[in-house]
Amino acid sequence: MKISTIQKKQIVGITGLAMVGFVLAHLSGNFLIFKGPEAFNAYAKFLHDLGGLLWVMRIGILGSFLLHIFFTIQLVIANKKARNARYYKYKNHRSSSSLATQLMPLTGTIIFIYIIFHLLDFTLAEKVGVIEGIDYGLFGLVVNVLGNPIHAAFYIIAMICVGLHMFHAFQSVFQTLGIMSERNQHQITMASQLLGIAITLGFSSIPVYILFNF
Amino acid sequence: MSDTITLTLKVWRQRSADDAGHFEIYKAKDINVNMSFLEMLDVVNDTLTLNNQMPIAFDHDCREGICGSCGAMVNGVAHGPVSAVTLCQLHMRSFSDGDTIVIEPFRAKSLPIIQDLVIDRTAFDRIIAKGGYISVKTGSAPEANDTPIKKTNSDSAFDAAACIGCSACVAACPNASASLFVAAKVSHLALLPQGSTERKRVLNMVDQMDAEGFGGCSNAYQCEAACPKQIKVENIARMNREYTKQKLSR
Amino acid sequence: MAKLNSHEPSGPVDEKWQKHMFDMKLVNPSNKKKLKIIVVGTGLAGASASASLAELGYNVHTFTYHESGRRAHSIAAQGGINAAKNYCNDGDSVQRLFYDTVKGGDFRARESNVHRLAENSVKIIDHCVAQGVPFAREYAGLLDNRSFGGAQVSRTFYAKGQTGQQLLLGAYQAMMKEVERKRVTLHTRCEMMDVVIVNGKARGIIVRNLLTGQLEKHAADAVILATGGYGNVFYLSTNAMACNVTATWKAHKKGAYFANPCYTQIHPTCIPVKGDYQSKLTLMSESLRNDGRVWVPKDVGDHRSPDQIPEDKRDYYLERKYPSFGNLVPRDLASRNAKEQTDMGKGINGGLAVYLDFADAINQLGRETIEARYGNLFDMYQQITGTNPYESPMMIYPAVHYTMGGLWVDYNLQSSIPGLHVLGEANFSDHGANRLGASALMQGLSDGYFVIPNTIGHYFGSNSLEKVTTDAPEFEESLQAIQQKIDTLVGIKGSKTVDHYHRELGLLVWDKCGMARDKKGLEEALKRIPDIRAEFWDNVSIPGDAAFNQTLEKALRVADFLEFGELMCFDALHREESCGGHFRTEHQTKEGEALRNDEDFCFVSAWEYNEGKKPKLNTEDLTFKDVPLSQRSYK
Repeated sequence: MKISTIQKKQIVGITGLAMVGFVLAHLSGNFLIFKGPEAFNAYAKFLHDLGGLLWVMRIGILGSFLLHIFFTIQLVIANKKARNARYYKYKNHRSSSSLATQLMPLTGTIIFIYIIFHLLDFTLAEKVGVIEGIDYGLFGLVVNVLGNPIHAAFYIIAMICVGLHMFHAFQSVFQTLGIMSERNQHQITMASQLLGIAITLGFSSIPVYILFNF
Repeated sequence: MSDTITLTLKVWRQRSADDAGHFEIYKAKDINVNMSFLEMLDVVNDTLTLNNQMPIAFDHDCREGICGSCGAMVNGVAHGPVSAVTLCQLHMRSFSDGDTIVIEPFRAKSLPIIQDLVIDRTAFDRIIAKGGYISVKTGSAPEANDTPIKKTNSDSAFDAAACIGCSACVAACPNASASLFVAAKVSHLALLPQGSTERKRVLNMVDQMDAEGFGGCSNAYQCEAACPKQIKVENIARMNREYTKQKLSR
Repeated sequence: MAKLNSHEPSGPVDEKWQKHMFDMKLVNPSNKKKLKIIVVGTGLAGASASASLAELGYNVHTFTYHESGRRAHSIAAQGGINAAKNYCNDGDSVQRLFYDTVKGGDFRARESNVHRLAENSVKIIDHCVAQGVPFAREYAGLLDNRSFGGAQVSRTFYAKGQTGQQLLLGAYQAMMKEVERKRVTLHTRCEMMDVVIVNGKARGIIVRNLLTGQLEKHAADAVILATGGYGNVFYLSTNAMACNVTATWKAHKKGAYFANPCYTQIHPTCIPVKGDYQSKLTLMSESLRNDGRVWVPKDVGDHRSPDQIPEDKRDYYLERKYPSFGNLVPRDLASRNAKEQTDMGKGINGGLAVYLDFADAINQLGRETIEARYGNLFDMYQQITGTNPYESPMMIYPAVHYTMGGLWVDYNLQSSIPGLHVLGEANFSDHGANRLGASALMQGLSDGYFVIPNTIGHYFGSNSLEKVTTDAPEFEESLQAIQQKIDTLVGIKGSKTVDHYHRELGLLVWDKCGMARDKKGLEEALKRIPDIRAEFWDNVSIPGDAAFNQTLEKALRVADFLEFGELMCFDALHREESCGGHFRTEHQTKEGEALRNDEDFCFVSAWEYNEGKKPKLNTEDLTFKDVPLSQRSYK
């Protein structure tokens, strides 16, 4: 079956939305770090104990992630082909969302690289984190990793990328799915931009907290 | 302000579709600021002609901004620096003495260059042929006022129908997408009760747009900024909506 | 001199078309696909004819020199399209539209054609609405109308200032639908170079493929020309740059009679010429004269800026001369009077422009009201001229914008060559000596949608056509002649541009055969045109070769204007009367109005080409039974 460009865009959009859901859930879990090691580790244990359900979620998010990237790459290749010769001079029309829009491929790539490191650092790592001689488990691991200023900086840069990605992408999904209209365009765009900013600030607050408190 | 200015033009010259093409530099001397951009090119072309050199080829016809024939990238902007006008309605008072102006054809794989700034836009015709119409046999129409149309719908349909098919949207789009052009026609017809029985048109038109090799829409909205008729990107959302509905109702 | 037969049916004028529809021969549906029809031009007339003929089942081949059918100049029509719907309940009817058009044409049109046009007008609106043309609507959702020049009823349907665009897109889309169904074969970027006549009938055309420069032969069973008017003979006009006379002129040279070429319409409110570089003129809607006051400085040589010229030093000449109509006199009068003022040296800065002043209207009604009425026009004016019409008066001047003359056709829209039909502005038929506003779109669509689909069947039904292919020697003969002409042109390598000669011709005919004509001037023009033509063929510069070459395209068109211009002046000289757009200064009333000579000139002049000699006159007598001949007055 031939999949049209619009359909590919819609798949990218819907999988993107799924990941936005995941990211928000992830963020709310992360906030437990402010409540201390017990709460945070208990949450991790709760997730771990979901067992099969956790795997369903993991496969779902992985599937979304792969489809998102697969079709994005296809679209990017087709889009590059469509403009077969580059302009000698090309001026982008400035608008409030234009920077985030132009940076989509870059922020997407950085997020991709970041996710690999993120999985290695936390998901696949042994959940051991010794602080001042005591093992605080995952909590300790997070504090130790993000307590490293270079690591924290990388994390914050990655979270800025996620935010920028959302800044454009969230409203973009509504346009691609045909939900955007003259009536709701302003609200959806505002929501998208607020979401982008909130996600960046939310995630970045964690390494900042760790850097200043540990 | 002086009435005449002198400019340096850096113009894309390409003998034919197969030719690699290159830039040439020309001096446009003593250009009256009241000239249109195309009249400025006429002056340059007169000089070239009298030196027995090929004049710069460019498409143009009505020179009042409605036929959609003209268009080029002027300093990296489709139809030049003034918004909501076509190249023929751009006047030289928008430039200053001593300016260098880069003039390039609209570039897209689906709109191949024929010569210099002349491009082949027949891809647009082929998309329209796939469904950009309401099928009504001559003589079979009912009385015109039998079907009232809500004024807001009628006005939105008109705004979409104002498209002149100049392809500035494709030229300005980072992906060379024809989404705004196709969406304008889909919207025009979908908004009218007369057009609602043939709603499947959107599927064929979108397929043809893909087959022509236009890029996809990344919602960069550069098309809207470039459109001389100020066609809005909401039309693209409407096309996507129409497309999804028709795909699901198949 | 031969008398031409219009082949119009007998009977009362309002029954002729219905009677004719019944009397005409038909073509069996299964035979239609075997009949090939060539349509040249994709404006309103050409596109609507292509679509309608293809729907009937004919094998249609359509040609345009544009890259797409949607670029034709019908697209630029602003104002609207007339139809006798009487939606406004203001007393309109087919009969009234018929009456207004005949009278507006200054009694030089064929009554039967005009009546058919008025009948078809209502069907056009139905059809276009069904096609999705987004006409202006009222809040209740029903169609809106506005009034227009030359009529006392509101019968004009419009789509903002883009009526022509929307109607053309409707016809173009209908045609593209038939392209998809393979009933229409569309040949874009192909310019017609000649009509090919075999055994006395039009059986094909020669076209130049503009992309390759190759000449191509195309045979058919009938040929339809819908190639527009010849306004660009004046170089500067509101026509698009490529509009030309080539197709109709070539048909004329092959035997089609050219009717009333001297009837040209000059629109009074256009943006004046700014300089030698000017390539075309832009029309400003006639509606501006509703609130604008036309004036010039009272004294020759008063070159002060308009705000420095006091009231008593201004001459509101239209209000002074025509107290009852004032600034709202018809197009031809407004145009001629502007010329009279500038001829006296009273134009702005002594040049060719008069003021159209909105200061009083802005003072009385407020800027907001004026902005609501004319905002888009004021913006357009500012865009082009760089001056703000809210602050200083507009400068306007008349410009050529439509040609009523064209190839002579009978009631079936067939020219004097059997099998060659002519539609839209390219024919002479419906507007007489002056076209009313919003009637051009109506005529193009009436011809294409509703007349030719019926009358062409009659042609096929009443003629037995032998098989003709492009192997017929007439095709090669014609092709060779054109090739030779092209080779000659490209080989001249002279020292003047094509535009140089076009401009020279344009200035000459504008001066001698423009808004006002006289014997002396026309004779001068007739002497001068052959000289310009000879010089053109001796010294024109066309760089490059005979492949894709925009200069060559232009040169081929100008070469034909240089021949046609002579016929236009010849006709103007011959017609010893003033009527509509044709004003001979020798023939005017004491008040300076056009003075018709119904005694001697109540006929159509249909000129026959006569190689190397003066054209031969054939006439079609005009009779006015339903709209009695009368003199117009606007005092």
